[in-house]
Parts: sequence; C-alpha cells; structure tokens
Amino acid sequence: MKLLTKSNIYITITTVLLFAMGIFIVYQVILLKLDREVDKQLLSAKEQIVNGLNDGISPNEFLANIGQKIYVKKVETQTIFDNQFIEYIEKDPKDPSSNGDITQRELLFQTKVNDKIYEVTVCSSLSEGKKIGDYIAVVVLIFLVVSVIILFLLNRLISAFIWSPFYDTLSKIKTWNIKKNEILNFKETDIDEFHLLNDTVKDLTHQIQSDYHNLKEFTENVSHEAQTPLSIISTKLELLMQENNYNDKQHKLLVQTYNATQRLYKLNEGLILLTRIENKQFIETSHIELTQAIDEKLEVLEDFIEAKQITVEKCYNKHITKDVNAILLTILLNNLFINAIKYNLEENGKIKITVDEDSFSVENTSYIDKINRQFLFDRFNKNSISGSLGLGLSLIKKIVDFYNWQVTYSHKDGKHKFKIYM
Amino acid sequence: MRILIIEDEKSLREDVVDYLTENGYKCDFATTIKSAMQKLNDIVYSCALVDVGLPDGSGIEIVEHIKKNNPEMGVIIVTAKNALEDKLQGLKIGADDYLTKPFHLSELSARVYSVLRRRNFGGKNSLVFDGLEIDTTEKKVIANGNQLQLTKKEYEILVYLASNPTHLITKEALADAIWGDKADMATSFDFVYSQIKNLKKKLNEADLKNYIKVVYGMGYKFKD
Repeated sequence: MKLLTKSNIYITITTVLLFAMGIFIVYQVILLKLDREVDKQLLSAKEQIVNGLNDGISPNEFLANIGQKIYVKKVETQTIFDNQFIEYIEKDPKDPSSNGDITQRELLFQTKVNDKIYEVTVCSSLSEGKKIGDYIAVVVLIFLVVSVIILFLLNRLISAFIWSPFYDTLSKIKTWNIKKNEILNFKETDIDEFHLLNDTVKDLTHQIQSDYHNLKEFTENVSHEAQTPLSIISTKLELLMQENNYNDKQHKLLVQTYNATQRLYKLNEGLILLTRIENKQFIETSHIELTQAIDEKLEVLEDFIEAKQITVEKCYNKHITKDVNAILLTILLNNLFINAIKYNLEENGKIKITVDEDSFSVENTSYIDKINRQFLFDRFNKNSISGSLGLGLSLIKKIVDFYNWQVTYSHKDGKHKFKIYM
Repeated sequence: MRILIIEDEKSLREDVVDYLTENGYKCDFATTIKSAMQKLNDIVYSCALVDVGLPDGSGIEIVEHIKKNNPEMGVIIVTAKNALEDKLQGLKIGADDYLTKPFHLSELSARVYSVLRRRNFGGKNSLVFDGLEIDTTEKKVIANGNQLQLTKKEYEILVYLASNPTHLITKEALADAIWGDKADMATSFDFVYSQIKNLKKKLNEADLKNYIKVVYGMGYKFKD
C-alpha cells in the first residue's frame, strides 16, 4: 500500500469519526435546548392561565389568546401539586396516513382558584423544533461529506507534491545500474529528511560503485596475472610426468596436482572470458544464419553425441539471420549443447533443437532432476554437479544479457529445456 | 632436422628446446630478432618457431625475412592468446601454422611434425615403426602388412601420439588437439578414453600389442 493512501485513509477515518461525533453532540444539544424552550413557553402559559383564573376570567375566554392547546377541567380534590411534563409521540392529526409522527410535550398541573380546583393540560408540539434540528444535522452532514472529500483530495495533492522528491529518488535508485558508471542526480528539495536521504544514497552508491570497480579490477588482474604462472606450472608438470621412475605414491601425487592445475587453468580461462564479455571485447559482428551455426556446432560435437548414442531432432521452423559476434555465438551454442550432451541419459538420450522466428530452444532428456531456478545462472552455484566448472550457465546468461536477449529454463516430463528469445 | 626456436621467455624456450631435442630434432635458439636473423643467415633450418612478441620488435619481421630468403623453410608462429591480428597477419605472409600461448609441448611437436611433412623435408611422408606404418599422405595405417580400418578420430589420435614417440601425452593435450577448447573437459576425456580403447583393440588384433600404453591418470604413451 502506498504511503499516501495509508495516511489518507487514517486522516479520512479520523475526520469522519470526529464529524459524526460532532453532529451527534450538536443534535443532542439542540434537542435539549428545544425542550427547555418549550418548557419555558408552557410555564409562561401556565402563569397566564393561573392569572386569568384568578382574575375570574372564564377559561374559554382566554383560551383563544394563548397559542397552545389547553384543556381545563374541574376536579374535586387536588392530587397533583407540581408541574408534570409529559412527552409522547402521536400520529399527525392532519395527515394520519403518513408516517410523519408528531412529538408532543404537555404540561399538566392542578391549581386551586377561589376554592375551585382546576386541572390544566397545556400542549405544545415539538415537531417544528425537531425539524429544524434535522435540517441542521443534514446541513452539517453535507458539510462533513464535502469537507472530507476536499480534505482527501487536498491531502493527496499536497502529499504528492511534498513526496515527489522522494518518488524521484526512488525511481532513480531503481533504475540505477552499478555497471554503468553513472552518478545519481536527484531533484532539488527543501525538505531536510529528503535532502539527507538523497545525500546518503549518493554517498552510498558512490561507495558501492568504487568498491565494485576495485573488486572488478582486482578479479581481472588476478585472472590475467594468474594465467602465465598457471601455464608454466602446467607445462612443467607435463615435463615432470615424462619421467618414468615414479613410485605409486609419487605418481598419484603428480596426477592429482596436474588435474587440479588443469581445472584451475580452465576455470581461470572461463573467468577471463566472462570478464572480456563484460568489458565488451567482442564487438565485431557478422551476419550469421542461426540454423547453419547450429549445424556446424553439432558437427563438431558429433563424436560426443554418437558416443552417447543421443538422437538429435532438429525442428527448424524458420531460418533467421542475426548480426552477432561469431565467437560469442559459438560459446553460447557450445555451452548449451555440451550441457545437453553431458547431462543426458546414458541410453536413449534425446536432444531437440527448435528454431523459431525470434527464439531457439534446446531440450534434452537427462539423469539429473529439475534444477533450482533461483541460482541457475549464478557462477559456482550450489547445484553445480561435480566435475563441472560451474561457469557454463553463467556464460550463457552473460552472452544472452550482452545482446539483451532472454533465456528461460523449464523442466517438463524429465526434460530440461533452455529457450533463448532473440 | 634443424629447428630454430625464437622465443625470449627463458622458461618456455628451455622446455621447448628440451622437448623437441628429445623428439629427435636438432634445436638452436634465439632470443631477439637480431640474433635470429644472424642464425638464419648462417645456418639452413628446416623449420622455425617464431614468437611474435619479441623484445626488439615483432616476430612478423622474421617471418617476412624467411619467406623472402628461404621460402622452403617451415614457419610456425606463436602468439599470445587472443592476438587475432598477429595470427591473421602471420598466416597471410606465409607462416605454415600458428600456436597460441599457452600450448602443450606435445601439440607443438605434432605441429612441427605436420609442417615438416607438408614441406616434405627428408622425403618423409609416413611414420614408420616396427610393424606399423602411418602414411600421412594417404591417411592410411598399415599394421603388419594389413591396412587398419580406423575412424577419423582414431587416426588423428594415432598420428598425434606417433608424432610424439616415447613421450607421455596427457589426456588434456590429446583432447585439446582434437577439439581445441570447444569441448568440455570431462566429456572429451571420456571420449578420448573410448577412442584409445578401440584403437588399442584394433592394434592388438593386428598383433601390435605394445604401441599405446595407458599411464594411469595421466595420459598415453606411444611405444615405450
């Protein structure tokens, strides 16, 4: 979830809750005030009635002068001595069919005038006041909705504006490539935190870049400098092996040393090759017809294919010509095919090569299980099978990356398939 | 047969001289263009091994000199790895073959043999051993009077071994010679092994039992 969305949600929820509470309180206060006001009116009506009765005016006479509905009757004994307020809801007498109920408030009291006891009920409708309360509530509600929307939008706008340097930084870090020697330049910002972030990221990337280059240089140097002594060791060992008079122990030691040296030598060669590809030392290209290149490669490897009695099925749906470096294409095909041969079944092995308009694939049966995809193209990954240098697939990946192609691996029905989209 | 080795790297030069001398060649060496030119003017060589990177210039100069004054002579140039330009230029001006550093000494010996054979030095078109004759022009192998039916790879392996008699040929050298660095080590060793097995079987059938000796873990030897 985006930071903006999240903060907006919290702000919106809080605003809505606050406003809802506010409306509720306002509504209750209005109702309370309304009641008080009505009570006051009722009491003043009572005063007028009592005065009128005292003055000996017949109730029927002053009834018309007072706005409220008044019911007066004579009773024998006084049972009520204080003011009793009663509130009840009744159907609107003007329109009984409608749902509009009317809230009535009554003041009931008994008074003794000239030894006569009167019971008086003064009635007042609360509906008008309630209506006003409702109106106010609706207005406040509309105001609430509108202000929440406005707040929401405004917040978005401001946040987007405020956070824009942050997003700029983020997108620049995302596209940053350690291999390209580029310096990050961020959007100017007057927000301290972002400023600090940008400075930190700048320093960090600079540090990483320089470490990366030092490390790369170191690896290159090691590989290159190791090559000459390695070849000297290798040659001297070969000469040493020409001697005849070794005992079994010496013989064994010599063989082990020589094998390890050869392995190291090949490994080093592979690493140098990887570095050379990385350093773009294979730039000259030529028109190469893919199926022809594949056929040539298969011919070179014919011995191995025959030795394992592997059936090769070619499925050339299209003849495509690519502008590539011949050496790189050879290395790519070589590694793909060698893997397909090396890890193939000892019996009834199959290799299927498919060439389509924008891709080609090598599919082979194998004695090894599905390979863990995650580290598939890493150098010396943990899946490496003993005896392999662990560089073959990373060479494939390196070349594929060099040309901005794609390589995919899939495993189905015991068959491994490498597909390259060109 | 006399061979001139022009190489400034002492260690490599000594190894090459020793190895080729053991293979029955007479070897002289030079370390600079100047001394090489002098030797070339004084003595007639059958073949020269020329390193392109010399302290006083490019070995290409020597190749040009040889081709002008003694075109009959075989020339093999040695270049540092990846110096494609040197290689192409060397072949263009008439070098017979090239080797990139580092190389197996057995590979060098095989190349020297091949160049000399092509140039027809000593009238030798076949390798003759006791009961075994390898005709390199016709690519035929005669064992005790009968022609052996060998596959192309078996033949190549046999010639390679035979051009390095009495030497141990490592399986790496053999694999490199036949497939270059195109093949993966482990795969090619297996293949070399099976080829040698077949080759030995065919030689055995022709009553030539001891020509190829397997040196456990190391490689193979031709006629101990």
